Amino acid sequence: MKVVIYSEDVDSIKTGVMYFPNDYTIVVSNKEVKVSDELHILDDIKEEFIANYIASLKPDLVITGSSKRDKSIAGAVAGLLRYPIITDVTEISGNKAKRVVYSGMGIAEIEFSYPVVITVTKKSVEVKEKESKILKVQTKDLRVKRVEIKEKGGGGVDLTSAQIIVSVGRGIGSKENIKYAEELANALGAALGGSRPVTAELGWLPEDRQIGLSGNKVKPKLYIALGISGQPQHLAGIKDAKIIVAVNKDKSAPIVDNADYIIVGDAIEFCKVMADKVKKK
Amino acid sequence: MNIVTCFKIVPDDTLIKIVGDKLDLNVPSKISTYDKNAIEEAVRIKEKFGGKAIGVTAGNTDRKSIREALAMGLDEVIAINMKMQDVMTTAEALAETLSSIKPDIILTGEATTDSSTSVFPSYLASLLSYPFITYAKSISIEGNKVKVERNLTTFQEVVEAELPVVISVVGEINTPRIPSVKQILESSKKPVKNVDFDKEPKIKISNVSPYVITRKKIIIEGKMEEAVDKLLNYLSQEGVL
Repeated sequence: MKVVIYSEDVDSIKTGVMYFPNDYTIVVSNKEVKVSDELHILDDIKEEFIANYIASLKPDLVITGSSKRDKSIAGAVAGLLRYPIITDVTEISGNKAKRVVYSGMGIAEIEFSYPVVITVTKKSVEVKEKESKILKVQTKDLRVKRVEIKEKGGGGVDLTSAQIIVSVGRGIGSKENIKYAEELANALGAALGGSRPVTAELGWLPEDRQIGLSGNKVKPKLYIALGISGQPQHLAGIKDAKIIVAVNKDKSAPIVDNADYIIVGDAIEFCKVMADKVKKK
Repeated sequence: MNIVTCFKIVPDDTLIKIVGDKLDLNVPSKISTYDKNAIEEAVRIKEKFGGKAIGVTAGNTDRKSIREALAMGLDEVIAINMKMQDVMTTAEALAETLSSIKPDIILTGEATTDSSTSVFPSYLASLLSYPFITYAKSISIEGNKVKVERNLTTFQEVVEAELPVVISVVGEINTPRIPSVKQILESSKKPVKNVDFDKEPKIKISNVSPYVITRKKIIIEGKMEEAVDKLLNYLSQEGVL
């Protein structure tokens, strides 16, 4: 089988290679990662061009990562090839795959046949280096032209690898109150994140701090949810946390059923007391 | 301007409950969350540039949800009845239905709350040979050109393209309107066209099981000072602090 693997992310590429170690693999990426039979290095990420390029390789199977751009490309490739597509796959064995559905409430088992396009959720795996045949590919804008790119000043916080995360929801009350959560995060050496309403809708925190199904999926050893009610899309992003602490005034909020320790009370008061005690420790 | 907005009717994800080893999906239907943003954006573009805003939905054709979409300002809805659907068959059904409409803009939400794939917009664009722009947080149209700000979580990108184009929108692009009683009443007079599409998907969901991680659910009440002391004790026992 000719397997073409595309991702802007090295871990996703390795995850793809891991699932199909015995097939002929072509990695298409702007990252130099030598784990396949061929490596086609792109000078840029231009989605429509990349989709056309992958389709022109006539693969039996296409694997991509599950980032927003990876998925945009995967959908276009599948449409060009008229292949079925399965996204956010957490497990592949033979003709079966697993993925999360209903905003993180369920796991679906899926049966499929090849050819197919699959987008995988990345795992941290190490795969063998290979003497890849290297090909350089010059990309170009086709019908959609990029006119500007704005990196966001998130201070380079990588929520996906943070060990402790302090996370705020609407229940923190106001943008000004975020400083209390920040102080607690500093005391704990934690990264600061937020729910979708706080990041995407109210703008109290930059959007790259969003935790949930449509933002960052996180796996810290400690997750402290401050004033977060616990909508399914948020819970889906924190399922892999080892310990979840929720601070909420409302004992019947959905987060309560999905946390290990629940403090019933005011999030700001909690931040002040907790930060104080942690500093003294 | 011919605007089409695709929306999906899904089980309300905030009401889905886990019952034993099953998910109880027998809950009220709703228009998938971000698809409402796509409907809103379609109506806004129509209000600014004129023309027609047509909604297309495939799969569940719950009348109440279709009425809601019409009440929000769509001129008509095409409801495609499909018993089984995946991204591919849904895109095929839509492409077939849209080929005679030749829309200038096709809008969708960034993802639906049932399957959350996000790949439908670019799949449909490929079938129609339209360019695609995903995750739009603002759209401005001038003449035959569209300028879109894309939110890709860690960075933003501004892109331009000529119409026609497929665009998926993120939740922060707008606040979907809540229709008035008058609009709801008027919506019953708007046309709903039913279409059948019958094709078996190549991928099958063989089982859906609840995704639960059992948490300890230890509730700590009382004065904050004491509560935090208790919590710190627990956390050091857990070895996470």
